[in-house]
Amino acid sequence: MLDAYIQSYNQAVFETDKPAALEVVNHALNDGFSPEDIVFKLVIPAIELMMTLIEKDPDANLAQHFMTAQIAADVTEKMLEKFSKPPEMIGRVVIGAAYGDLHSLGKRIVSGCLKSLMVDVVDLGTNVTAEKFVDTAVSESAQVIAVSAMMVHTATSAKGSLGVRSLLQERGLEQQIKLAVGGAPYRFDPELYTKVGADAWAPDGVTAAKVIVDLIREVKP
Amino acid sequence: MTPLEILTAAMTGSPAPRVPVFCNLPDHGARELGMPAKQYFSKGEYVADGQLRLLRRYGYDNIWSLHYVGKEAELLGCREILFADDGAPNVADFVIKNLDDIAKLEIPTDITLHPAWQSVSDCLKILQSEVGTTHPTCAYVTASTTLPAILMGMDKWMELFLLGPFDVRDELLRKCSDFCQQEFAALRALGANVLIYSTPFGSPYFVSRKQIEQTVLPWMRRDLLPGGSEGLVYYCGMAAFNDVIDLVFDELHIKIHHISPLADLAEAKRLIGNRGLTCGVIDDIKMIHWSVEQTRAEVQRIVEIGKTGGHFLFGNGVMPMAVPEANIRTMVDAAFEYGRLP
Repeated sequence: MLDAYIQSYNQAVFETDKPAALEVVNHALNDGFSPEDIVFKLVIPAIELMMTLIEKDPDANLAQHFMTAQIAADVTEKMLEKFSKPPEMIGRVVIGAAYGDLHSLGKRIVSGCLKSLMVDVVDLGTNVTAEKFVDTAVSESAQVIAVSAMMVHTATSAKGSLGVRSLLQERGLEQQIKLAVGGAPYRFDPELYTKVGADAWAPDGVTAAKVIVDLIREVKP
Repeated sequence: MTPLEILTAAMTGSPAPRVPVFCNLPDHGARELGMPAKQYFSKGEYVADGQLRLLRRYGYDNIWSLHYVGKEAELLGCREILFADDGAPNVADFVIKNLDDIAKLEIPTDITLHPAWQSVSDCLKILQSEVGTTHPTCAYVTASTTLPAILMGMDKWMELFLLGPFDVRDELLRKCSDFCQQEFAALRALGANVLIYSTPFGSPYFVSRKQIEQTVLPWMRRDLLPGGSEGLVYYCGMAAFNDVIDLVFDELHIKIHHISPLADLAEAKRLIGNRGLTCGVIDDIKMIHWSVEQTRAEVQRIVEIGKTGGHFLFGNGVMPMAVPEANIRTMVDAAFEYGRLP
Protein backbone atom coordinates (compact mmCIF):
# COMPACT_ATOMS: atom_id res chain seq x y z
CA MET A 1 0.00 0.00 0.00
CA LEU A 2 2.89 2.33 0.76
CA ASP A 3 4.00 2.03 -2.85
CA ALA A 4 0.66 3.39 -4.00
CA TYR A 5 1.01 6.34 -1.65
CA ILE A 6 4.56 6.98 -2.82
CA GLN A 7 3.40 6.99 -6.43
CA SER A 8 0.46 9.33 -5.75
CA TYR A 9 2.60 11.66 -3.65
CA ASN A 10 5.35 11.83 -6.28
CA GLN A 11 2.80 12.52 -8.98
CA ALA A 12 1.29 15.36 -6.96
CA VAL A 13 4.71 16.89 -6.28
CA PHE A 14 5.72 16.57 -9.93
CA GLU A 15 2.53 18.35 -10.98
CA THR A 16 3.11 21.04 -8.32
CA ASP A 17 -0.25 20.11 -6.75
CA LYS A 18 0.21 20.77 -3.04
CA PRO A 19 -3.39 20.00 -1.93
CA ALA A 20 -3.19 16.59 -3.64
CA ALA A 21 0.15 15.85 -1.93
CA LEU A 22 -1.25 16.78 1.48
CA GLU A 23 -4.29 14.60 0.84
CA VAL A 24 -2.01 11.62 0.17
CA VAL A 25 -0.21 12.28 3.46
CA ASN A 26 -3.50 12.45 5.37
CA HIS A 27 -4.74 9.21 3.83
CA ALA A 28 -1.49 7.50 4.71
CA LEU A 29 -1.75 8.70 8.32
CA ASN A 30 -5.37 7.51 8.52
CA ASP A 31 -4.25 4.13 7.22
CA GLY A 32 -1.94 3.80 10.18
CA PHE A 33 1.41 4.86 8.79
CA SER A 34 3.54 6.66 11.38
CA PRO A 35 4.80 10.24 11.02
CA GLU A 36 8.29 8.72 10.81
CA ASP A 37 7.15 6.56 7.86
CA ILE A 38 5.69 9.62 6.16
CA VAL A 39 8.97 11.53 6.38
CA PHE A 40 11.48 8.76 5.79
CA LYS A 41 9.53 6.60 3.33
CA LEU A 42 7.48 9.20 1.48
CA VAL A 43 8.91 12.71 1.69
CA ILE A 44 12.65 12.01 1.61
CA PRO A 45 12.41 9.45 -1.23
CA ALA A 46 10.31 12.00 -3.16
CA ILE A 47 13.07 14.60 -2.82
CA GLU A 48 15.64 12.02 -3.84
CA LEU A 49 13.49 11.08 -6.83
CA MET A 50 13.28 14.72 -7.86
CA MET A 51 17.09 14.94 -7.57
CA THR A 52 17.40 11.92 -9.87
CA LEU A 53 14.88 13.34 -12.31
CA ILE A 54 16.72 16.65 -12.41
CA GLU A 55 19.99 14.83 -13.08
CA LYS A 56 18.40 13.02 -16.03
CA ASP A 57 16.38 15.99 -17.21
CA PRO A 58 17.95 19.31 -16.22
CA ASP A 59 14.93 21.05 -17.73
CA ALA A 60 12.72 20.22 -14.75
CA ASN A 61 11.19 23.60 -14.08
CA LEU A 62 11.61 26.02 -11.22
CA ALA A 63 7.99 25.61 -10.14
CA GLN A 64 8.62 21.89 -9.62
CA HIS A 65 11.72 22.62 -7.57
CA PHE A 66 9.85 25.17 -5.50
CA MET A 67 6.89 22.91 -4.84
CA THR A 68 9.10 19.90 -4.06
CA ALA A 69 10.73 21.98 -1.34
CA GLN A 70 7.57 23.65 -0.06
CA ILE A 71 5.53 20.48 0.20
CA ALA A 72 8.42 18.56 1.76
CA ALA A 73 9.13 21.28 4.31
CA ASP A 74 5.46 21.68 5.27
CA VAL A 75 4.84 17.96 5.64
CA THR A 76 8.08 17.41 7.54
CA GLU A 77 7.35 20.25 9.94
CA LYS A 78 3.90 18.83 10.71
CA MET A 79 5.20 15.28 11.07
CA LEU A 80 8.13 16.23 13.29
CA GLU A 81 5.69 17.47 15.92
CA LYS A 82 4.26 13.96 16.01
CA PHE A 83 7.52 11.99 16.06
CA SER A 84 7.84 9.64 19.03
CA LYS A 85 11.37 10.99 19.64
CA PRO A 86 13.32 13.80 17.98
CA PRO A 87 15.11 12.60 14.85
CA GLU A 88 18.89 12.58 14.60
CA MET A 89 19.96 15.54 12.50
CA ILE A 90 22.60 15.08 9.80
CA GLY A 91 24.22 18.44 10.48
CA ARG A 92 23.75 22.18 10.33
CA VAL A 93 24.01 24.78 7.56
CA VAL A 94 24.04 28.56 7.69
CA ILE A 95 22.33 29.90 4.58
CA GLY A 96 21.69 33.38 3.19
CA ALA A 97 21.79 35.63 0.15
CA ALA A 98 25.12 37.35 -0.51
CA TYR A 99 25.85 40.91 0.53
CA GLY A 100 23.93 43.31 -1.72
CA ASP A 101 21.57 40.58 -2.93
CA LEU A 102 17.90 40.68 -1.97
CA HIS A 103 16.70 37.55 -3.81
CA SER A 104 15.29 34.76 -1.67
CA LEU A 105 13.65 32.14 -3.92
CA GLY A 106 16.69 29.88 -4.38
CA LYS A 107 17.54 29.99 -0.69
CA ARG A 108 13.97 29.06 0.19
CA ILE A 109 14.02 26.01 -2.12
CA VAL A 110 17.33 24.81 -0.67
CA SER A 111 16.17 25.37 2.92
CA GLY A 112 12.92 23.48 2.39
CA CYS A 113 14.71 20.43 0.99
CA LEU A 114 17.41 20.50 3.66
CA LYS A 115 14.91 20.60 6.52
CA SER A 116 13.22 17.50 5.13
CA LEU A 117 16.57 15.79 4.80
CA MET A 118 17.09 16.31 8.54
CA VAL A 119 19.54 19.18 8.28
CA ASP A 120 19.27 22.09 10.72
CA VAL A 121 19.00 25.31 8.75
CA VAL A 122 20.01 28.70 10.13
CA ASP A 123 18.56 31.18 7.65
CA LEU A 124 20.22 34.60 7.81
CA GLY A 125 17.93 36.13 5.18
CA THR A 126 19.16 38.38 2.40
CA ASN A 127 21.97 40.95 2.04
CA VAL A 128 24.22 39.10 4.50
CA THR A 129 27.80 40.17 5.19
CA ALA A 130 30.67 37.70 4.99
CA GLU A 131 31.41 38.33 8.67
CA LYS A 132 27.86 37.41 9.66
CA PHE A 133 28.02 34.17 7.68
CA VAL A 134 31.25 33.11 9.34
CA ASP A 135 30.44 34.36 12.85
CA THR A 136 27.09 32.54 12.78
CA ALA A 137 28.59 29.34 11.40
CA VAL A 138 31.07 29.36 14.29
CA SER A 139 28.53 30.19 16.99
CA GLU A 140 26.04 27.62 15.65
CA SER A 141 28.68 24.94 15.02
CA ALA A 142 27.57 24.63 11.39
CA GLN A 143 29.45 22.44 8.94
CA VAL A 144 28.45 24.40 5.83
CA ILE A 145 27.92 28.01 4.80
CA ALA A 146 25.63 28.30 1.77
CA VAL A 147 25.69 31.61 -0.11
CA SER A 148 23.02 32.34 -2.68
CA ALA A 149 23.61 35.04 -5.32
CA MET A 150 21.27 35.86 -8.17
CA MET A 151 23.32 38.68 -9.63
CA VAL A 152 26.80 38.56 -11.10
CA HIS A 153 28.19 41.36 -8.97
CA THR A 154 26.89 39.84 -5.74
CA ALA A 155 28.28 36.44 -6.74
CA THR A 156 31.74 37.77 -7.56
CA SER A 157 32.05 40.59 -5.03
CA ALA A 158 34.83 40.55 -2.45
CA LYS A 159 32.07 41.05 0.13
CA GLY A 160 30.29 37.84 -0.89
CA SER A 161 31.65 34.30 -1.18
CA LEU A 162 35.19 35.55 -1.66
CA GLY A 163 34.89 37.40 1.63
CA VAL A 164 33.61 34.26 3.37
CA ARG A 165 36.54 32.28 1.95
CA SER A 166 39.04 34.90 3.18
CA LEU A 167 37.61 34.82 6.69
CA LEU A 168 37.58 31.02 6.81
CA GLN A 169 41.22 31.08 5.73
CA GLU A 170 42.24 33.80 8.19
CA ARG A 171 40.58 32.04 11.09
CA GLY A 172 41.85 28.57 10.19
CA LEU A 173 38.32 27.21 9.72
CA GLU A 174 38.59 25.68 6.27
CA GLN A 175 38.65 22.10 7.48
CA GLN A 176 35.61 22.53 9.77
CA ILE A 177 33.39 24.70 7.57
CA LYS A 178 32.74 24.16 3.88
CA LEU A 179 31.40 26.79 1.48
CA ALA A 180 28.66 26.11 -1.08
CA VAL A 181 27.26 28.62 -3.58
CA GLY A 182 24.32 28.75 -5.93
CA GLY A 183 22.26 31.10 -8.07
CA ALA A 184 21.75 32.10 -11.68
CA PRO A 185 25.30 33.31 -12.51
CA TYR A 186 26.74 29.89 -11.69
CA ARG A 187 24.44 28.23 -14.23
CA PHE A 188 25.89 30.40 -16.97
CA ASP A 189 29.48 29.76 -15.93
CA PRO A 190 29.87 26.38 -14.21
CA GLU A 191 33.49 27.21 -13.35
CA LEU A 192 32.56 30.41 -11.56
CA TYR A 193 32.27 28.70 -8.17
CA THR A 194 36.02 28.03 -8.13
CA LYS A 195 36.72 31.69 -8.86
CA VAL A 196 34.67 32.80 -5.85
CA GLY A 197 36.43 30.40 -3.51
CA ALA A 198 33.61 27.90 -3.00
CA ASP A 199 34.03 24.19 -2.35
CA ALA A 200 30.94 23.25 -4.34
CA TRP A 201 27.98 24.64 -6.27
CA ALA A 202 24.67 23.40 -7.60
CA PRO A 203 22.67 24.42 -10.65
CA ASP A 204 19.32 24.37 -8.81
CA GLY A 205 17.88 24.43 -5.32
CA VAL A 206 16.97 20.75 -5.04
CA THR A 207 20.41 19.57 -6.18
CA ALA A 208 21.96 22.13 -3.83
CA ALA A 209 20.47 20.26 -0.89
CA LYS A 210 22.26 17.08 -2.00
CA VAL A 211 25.53 18.97 -2.50
CA ILE A 212 25.26 20.47 0.97
CA VAL A 213 24.50 17.10 2.59
CA ASP A 214 27.61 15.70 0.85
CA LEU A 215 29.70 18.59 2.22
CA ILE A 216 28.35 18.02 5.73
CA ARG A 217 29.39 14.39 5.47
CA GLU A 218 32.90 15.43 4.42
CA VAL A 219 33.26 17.45 7.60
CA LYS A 220 31.23 15.21 9.89
CA PRO A 221 31.54 11.61 8.68
CA MET B 1 22.73 51.66 -44.55
CA THR B 2 21.95 52.96 -41.08
CA PRO B 3 21.70 50.52 -38.18
CA LEU B 4 17.92 51.00 -38.28
CA GLU B 5 17.85 50.02 -41.96
CA ILE B 6 20.12 47.03 -41.28
CA LEU B 7 17.71 45.84 -38.57
CA THR B 8 14.74 46.25 -40.90
CA ALA B 9 16.57 44.32 -43.61
CA ALA B 10 17.29 41.49 -41.17
CA MET B 11 13.61 41.39 -40.20
CA THR B 12 12.34 41.30 -43.76
CA GLY B 13 15.14 39.22 -45.25
CA SER B 14 16.23 42.03 -47.57
CA PRO B 15 19.88 42.46 -48.63
CA ALA B 16 22.18 44.13 -46.10
CA PRO B 17 25.96 44.41 -45.69
CA ARG B 18 25.96 42.57 -42.34
CA VAL B 19 23.85 41.24 -39.49
CA PRO B 20 22.69 43.77 -36.87
CA VAL B 21 24.89 43.86 -33.77
CA PHE B 22 23.17 44.82 -30.51
CA CYS B 23 24.96 45.42 -27.24
CA ASN B 24 23.31 46.01 -23.89
CA LEU B 25 25.40 47.89 -21.35
CA PRO B 26 22.74 49.22 -18.98
CA ASP B 27 24.95 49.55 -15.90
CA HIS B 28 28.12 50.76 -17.63
CA GLY B 29 26.93 54.32 -18.26
CA ALA B 30 27.69 55.42 -14.70
CA ARG B 31 31.31 54.33 -14.99
CA GLU B 32 31.50 55.99 -18.40
CA LEU B 33 30.48 59.29 -16.79
CA GLY B 34 32.59 58.67 -13.67
CA MET B 35 29.67 58.97 -11.27
CA PRO B 36 28.04 56.71 -8.67
CA ALA B 37 25.16 54.56 -9.93
CA LYS B 38 22.60 56.33 -7.75
CA GLN B 39 23.52 59.71 -9.21
CA TYR B 40 23.68 58.36 -12.77
CA PHE B 41 20.19 56.89 -12.61
CA SER B 42 18.72 60.00 -10.97
CA LYS B 43 18.43 61.93 -14.23
CA GLY B 44 17.45 60.90 -17.73
CA GLU B 45 20.09 63.27 -19.10
CA TYR B 46 22.84 61.27 -17.40
CA VAL B 47 21.52 57.92 -18.66
CA ALA B 48 21.18 59.27 -22.19
CA ASP B 49 24.65 60.79 -22.08
CA GLY B 50 26.20 57.58 -20.71
CA GLN B 51 24.50 55.40 -23.29
CA LEU B 52 25.38 57.72 -26.18
CA ARG B 53 29.03 57.75 -25.10
CA LEU B 54 29.05 53.94 -24.95
CA LEU B 55 27.47 53.81 -28.40
CA ARG B 56 30.18 56.10 -29.76
CA ARG B 57 32.91 54.12 -27.99
CA TYR B 58 31.91 50.71 -29.35
CA GLY B 59 29.84 51.53 -32.43
CA TYR B 60 27.16 48.86 -32.12
CA ASP B 61 23.72 49.26 -33.68
CA ASN B 62 21.24 49.96 -30.85
CA ILE B 63 20.71 52.46 -28.07
CA TRP B 64 19.31 51.54 -24.65
CA SER B 65 16.87 53.61 -22.62
CA LEU B 66 16.46 51.19 -19.70
CA HIS B 67 17.43 52.66 -16.35
CA TYR B 68 16.94 49.60 -14.16
CA VAL B 69 14.17 47.04 -13.78
CA GLY B 70 13.18 48.40 -10.38
CA LYS B 71 12.01 51.60 -12.10
CA GLU B 72 8.72 49.78 -12.76
CA ALA B 73 8.40 49.03 -9.05
CA GLU B 74 9.02 52.71 -8.30
CA LEU B 75 6.19 53.65 -10.65
CA LEU B 76 4.00 51.38 -8.52
CA GLY B 77 5.04 52.74 -5.14
CA CYS B 78 8.47 51.22 -4.29
CA ARG B 79 10.36 53.65 -2.07
CA GLU B 80 13.82 52.15 -1.93
CA ILE B 81 16.27 50.88 -4.50
CA LEU B 82 19.59 49.40 -3.43
CA PHE B 83 22.15 50.83 -5.84
CA ALA B 84 25.52 49.22 -6.44
CA ASP B 85 28.50 50.69 -8.24
CA ASP B 86 29.54 47.29 -9.59
CA GLY B 87 26.21 45.92 -10.81
CA ALA B 88 22.48 46.26 -11.32
CA PRO B 89 20.26 47.98 -8.75
CA ASN B 90 17.96 45.82 -6.56
CA VAL B 91 14.42 46.53 -5.36
CA ALA B 92 14.83 46.97 -1.59
CA ASP B 93 11.24 47.82 -0.66
CA PHE B 94 8.48 45.48 -1.73
CA VAL B 95 5.23 47.30 -2.43
CA ILE B 96 3.25 44.16 -1.56
CA LYS B 97 4.28 43.00 1.88
CA ASN B 98 1.25 40.79 2.45
CA LEU B 99 -1.69 39.64 0.35
CA ASP B 100 -3.96 42.39 1.71
CA ASP B 101 -1.73 44.94 -0.02
CA ILE B 102 -2.84 43.61 -3.42
CA ALA B 103 -6.31 45.12 -3.02
CA LYS B 104 -4.69 48.42 -2.04
CA LEU B 105 -2.25 48.47 -4.98
CA GLU B 106 -3.21 51.30 -7.30
CA ILE B 107 -2.08 51.55 -10.88
CA PRO B 108 -1.53 55.21 -11.78
CA THR B 109 -4.16 56.41 -14.23
CA ASP B 110 -1.34 57.90 -16.29
CA ILE B 111 2.15 56.62 -15.50
CA THR B 112 3.71 59.41 -17.54
CA LEU B 113 2.61 61.87 -14.85
CA HIS B 114 4.42 59.91 -12.11
CA PRO B 115 7.64 61.62 -10.89
CA ALA B 116 9.60 58.36 -11.46
CA TRP B 117 8.74 58.48 -15.16
CA GLN B 118 10.39 61.84 -15.69
CA SER B 119 13.92 60.48 -16.13
CA VAL B 120 12.73 57.79 -18.57
CA SER B 121 10.94 60.40 -20.61
CA ASP B 122 13.89 62.82 -20.54
CA CYS B 123 16.27 60.05 -21.56
CA LEU B 124 14.17 58.87 -24.49
CA LYS B 125 13.63 62.39 -25.79
CA ILE B 126 17.41 62.97 -25.90
CA LEU B 127 18.08 59.60 -27.53
CA GLN B 128 15.43 60.27 -30.14
CA SER B 129 16.83 63.66 -31.02
CA GLU B 130 20.42 62.36 -31.16
CA VAL B 131 20.13 58.99 -32.91
CA GLY B 132 16.43 58.24 -33.28
CA THR B 133 16.46 58.40 -37.06
CA THR B 134 19.47 56.13 -37.46
CA HIS B 135 19.50 53.66 -34.55
CA PRO B 136 16.91 51.28 -33.07
CA THR B 137 15.89 52.54 -29.63
CA CYS B 138 15.48 49.76 -27.06
CA ALA B 139 13.21 49.90 -24.03
CA TYR B 140 12.24 47.29 -21.46
CA VAL B 141 8.82 46.18 -20.21
CA THR B 142 8.20 43.44 -17.67
CA ALA B 143 5.27 41.16 -18.47
CA SER B 144 2.28 41.10 -16.14
CA THR B 145 3.06 37.56 -15.03
CA THR B 146 6.59 38.49 -13.97
CA LEU B 147 6.09 42.04 -12.68
CA PRO B 148 4.76 40.78 -9.29
CA ALA B 149 8.22 39.33 -8.60
CA ILE B 150 9.61 42.85 -8.14
CA LEU B 151 6.55 43.98 -6.21
CA MET B 152 6.51 41.18 -3.62
CA GLY B 153 9.65 39.05 -4.12
CA MET B 154 10.04 36.08 -6.40
CA ASP B 155 9.41 33.43 -3.74
CA LYS B 156 6.19 35.03 -2.53
CA TRP B 157 5.04 35.49 -6.12
CA MET B 158 5.86 31.91 -7.05
CA GLU B 159 3.83 30.78 -4.04
CA LEU B 160 0.84 32.93 -4.97
CA PHE B 161 1.11 31.97 -8.62
CA LEU B 162 1.08 28.26 -7.88
CA LEU B 163 -1.02 27.99 -4.73
CA GLY B 164 -3.35 30.96 -4.80
CA PRO B 165 -5.71 32.27 -3.54
CA PHE B 166 -6.32 32.49 -7.27
CA ASP B 167 -8.82 35.34 -7.15
CA VAL B 168 -6.17 37.44 -5.39
CA ARG B 169 -3.50 36.31 -7.85
CA ASP B 170 -5.72 37.26 -10.79
CA GLU B 171 -6.53 40.65 -9.27
CA LEU B 172 -2.80 41.34 -9.07
CA LEU B 173 -2.25 40.10 -12.62
CA ARG B 174 -5.03 42.30 -13.93
CA LYS B 175 -3.44 45.35 -12.29
CA CYS B 176 0.00 44.42 -13.58
CA SER B 177 -1.39 43.89 -17.07
CA ASP B 178 -3.05 47.33 -16.96
CA PHE B 179 0.34 48.78 -16.02
CA CYS B 180 2.08 46.85 -18.77
CA GLN B 181 -0.35 48.14 -21.40
CA GLN B 182 0.27 51.72 -20.27
CA GLU B 183 4.03 51.27 -20.22
CA PHE B 184 4.12 49.91 -23.78
CA ALA B 185 2.05 52.85 -25.02
CA ALA B 186 4.13 55.42 -23.15
CA LEU B 187 7.45 54.03 -24.41
CA ARG B 188 6.20 53.82 -27.99
CA ALA B 189 4.94 57.40 -27.78
CA LEU B 190 8.49 58.46 -26.86
CA GLY B 191 9.96 56.69 -29.88
CA ALA B 192 11.10 53.33 -28.47
CA ASN B 193 10.83 50.87 -31.34
CA VAL B 194 12.52 47.72 -29.97
CA LEU B 195 10.61 46.69 -26.85
CA ILE B 196 12.21 43.99 -24.74
CA TYR B 197 9.22 42.11 -23.30
CA SER B 198 10.65 40.42 -20.24
CA THR B 199 8.66 37.32 -19.45
CA PRO B 200 10.57 34.68 -17.45
CA PHE B 201 7.26 33.02 -16.57
CA GLY B 202 6.88 32.48 -20.30
CA SER B 203 9.81 30.07 -20.20
CA PRO B 204 9.48 26.34 -19.51
CA TYR B 205 12.48 26.78 -17.24
CA PHE B 206 10.20 28.59 -14.78
CA VAL B 207 6.85 26.81 -15.13
CA SER B 208 5.49 23.92 -17.15
CA ARG B 209 4.25 24.32 -20.71
CA LYS B 210 0.76 23.53 -19.44
CA GLN B 211 0.98 26.41 -16.93
CA ILE B 212 2.28 28.69 -19.68
CA GLU B 213 -0.62 27.79 -21.95
CA GLN B 214 -3.32 27.94 -19.28
CA THR B 215 -2.21 30.84 -17.10
CA VAL B 216 0.67 32.84 -18.56
CA LEU B 217 -0.36 33.16 -22.21
CA PRO B 218 -3.82 34.63 -21.59
CA TRP B 219 -2.25 37.41 -19.51
CA MET B 220 0.49 38.03 -22.05
CA ARG B 221 -2.19 38.31 -24.75
CA ARG B 222 -3.92 40.89 -22.59
CA ASP B 223 -0.65 42.82 -22.07
CA LEU B 224 -0.29 43.18 -25.83
CA LEU B 225 -3.92 43.74 -26.69
CA PRO B 226 -4.00 47.50 -27.24
CA GLY B 227 -0.66 48.04 -28.96
CA GLY B 228 0.07 44.74 -30.65
CA SER B 229 3.39 42.95 -30.88
CA GLU B 230 5.20 45.18 -33.39
CA GLY B 231 8.85 45.61 -32.35
CA LEU B 232 8.57 43.30 -29.36
CA VAL B 233 11.40 41.00 -28.34
CA TYR B 234 10.44 37.84 -26.46
CA TYR B 235 12.94 37.68 -23.60
CA CYS B 236 12.79 35.27 -20.71
CA GLY B 237 15.47 36.79 -18.49
CA MET B 238 18.18 34.63 -20.11
CA ALA B 239 16.18 31.42 -19.55
CA ALA B 240 15.69 29.06 -22.48
CA PHE B 241 12.34 28.87 -24.26
CA ASN B 242 12.83 26.94 -27.52
CA ASP B 243 9.92 24.64 -26.58
CA VAL B 244 7.41 27.49 -26.75
CA ILE B 245 8.71 29.42 -29.78
CA ASP B 246 5.85 28.13 -31.94
CA LEU B 247 3.36 29.07 -29.26
CA VAL B 248 4.79 32.59 -29.07
CA PHE B 249 4.38 33.02 -32.83
CA ASP B 250 0.88 31.55 -32.92
CA GLU B 251 -0.57 33.17 -29.82
CA LEU B 252 1.36 36.41 -29.39
CA HIS B 253 2.68 37.08 -32.90
CA ILE B 254 6.02 38.21 -31.45
CA LYS B 255 8.65 37.87 -34.15
CA ILE B 256 11.95 38.66 -32.40
CA HIS B 257 13.26 35.99 -30.05
CA HIS B 258 16.14 36.53 -27.60
CA ILE B 259 17.66 33.05 -27.38
CA SER B 260 19.30 32.05 -24.11
CA PRO B 261 22.99 31.11 -24.27
CA LEU B 262 21.87 27.91 -22.52
CA ALA B 263 19.53 27.01 -25.40
CA ASP B 264 20.34 25.27 -28.67
CA LEU B 265 20.73 28.23 -31.03
CA ALA B 266 20.67 26.11 -34.19
CA GLU B 267 17.37 24.56 -33.10
CA ALA B 268 15.95 28.01 -32.30
CA LYS B 269 17.01 29.32 -35.71
CA ARG B 270 15.34 26.35 -37.37
CA LEU B 271 12.13 26.87 -35.37
CA ILE B 272 11.99 30.60 -36.10
CA GLY B 273 13.15 30.35 -39.71
CA ASN B 274 12.04 33.21 -41.91
CA ARG B 275 9.02 33.99 -39.76
CA GLY B 276 10.97 36.39 -37.60
CA LEU B 277 14.34 37.33 -36.20
CA THR B 278 16.57 35.03 -34.14
CA CYS B 279 18.72 36.88 -31.66
CA GLY B 280 21.83 34.80 -30.91
CA VAL B 281 23.10 35.73 -27.47
CA ILE B 282 26.63 35.37 -26.12
CA ASP B 283 27.12 34.14 -22.55
CA ASP B 284 28.50 37.40 -21.19
CA ILE B 285 28.98 35.98 -17.70
CA LYS B 286 31.69 33.72 -19.10
CA MET B 287 33.17 36.80 -20.76
CA ILE B 288 34.34 37.96 -17.31
CA HIS B 289 37.07 35.35 -17.37
CA TRP B 290 37.49 34.69 -21.09
CA SER B 291 40.50 35.86 -23.07
CA VAL B 292 39.88 38.02 -26.14
CA GLU B 293 40.61 34.93 -28.27
CA GLN B 294 37.91 32.93 -26.48
CA THR B 295 35.46 35.80 -26.84
CA ARG B 296 36.21 36.11 -30.53
CA ALA B 297 35.84 32.36 -31.11
CA GLU B 298 32.46 32.29 -29.37
CA VAL B 299 31.19 35.24 -31.41
CA GLN B 300 32.29 33.43 -34.55
CA ARG B 301 30.49 30.25 -33.48
CA ILE B 302 27.22 32.09 -32.75
CA VAL B 303 27.25 34.22 -35.88
CA GLU B 304 28.08 31.28 -38.12
CA ILE B 305 25.12 29.34 -36.76
CA GLY B 306 22.82 32.31 -37.12
CA LYS B 307 23.64 34.29 -40.21
CA THR B 308 23.00 31.58 -42.80
CA GLY B 309 19.66 32.43 -44.36
CA GLY B 310 19.55 35.87 -42.72
CA HIS B 311 16.84 36.82 -40.22
CA PHE B 312 19.51 36.99 -37.54
CA LEU B 313 20.67 39.47 -34.93
CA PHE B 314 23.68 39.21 -32.64
CA GLY B 315 23.34 40.30 -29.02
CA ASN B 316 24.36 39.83 -25.42
CA GLY B 317 22.64 39.51 -22.05
CA VAL B 318 23.20 42.19 -19.43
CA MET B 319 27.01 42.41 -19.65
CA PRO B 320 28.34 42.30 -16.08
CA MET B 321 30.53 45.28 -15.20
CA ALA B 322 33.36 42.86 -14.38
CA VAL B 323 33.74 41.98 -18.08
CA PRO B 324 37.02 43.50 -19.32
CA GLU B 325 36.60 46.32 -21.80
CA ALA B 326 38.84 44.45 -24.26
CA ASN B 327 36.31 41.61 -24.35
CA ILE B 328 33.41 43.97 -25.04
CA ARG B 329 35.40 45.60 -27.82
CA THR B 330 36.35 42.20 -29.24
CA MET B 331 32.76 40.99 -29.07
CA VAL B 332 31.43 43.94 -31.06
CA ASP B 333 34.28 43.97 -33.59
CA ALA B 334 34.09 40.20 -34.15
CA ALA B 335 30.32 40.36 -34.61
CA PHE B 336 30.79 43.01 -37.31
CA GLU B 337 33.54 40.98 -38.97
CA TYR B 338 31.93 37.54 -38.91
CA GLY B 339 28.49 39.02 -39.52
CA ARG B 340 29.39 40.36 -42.97
CA LEU B 341 26.93 39.16 -45.58
CA PRO B 342 27.69 38.38 -49.22
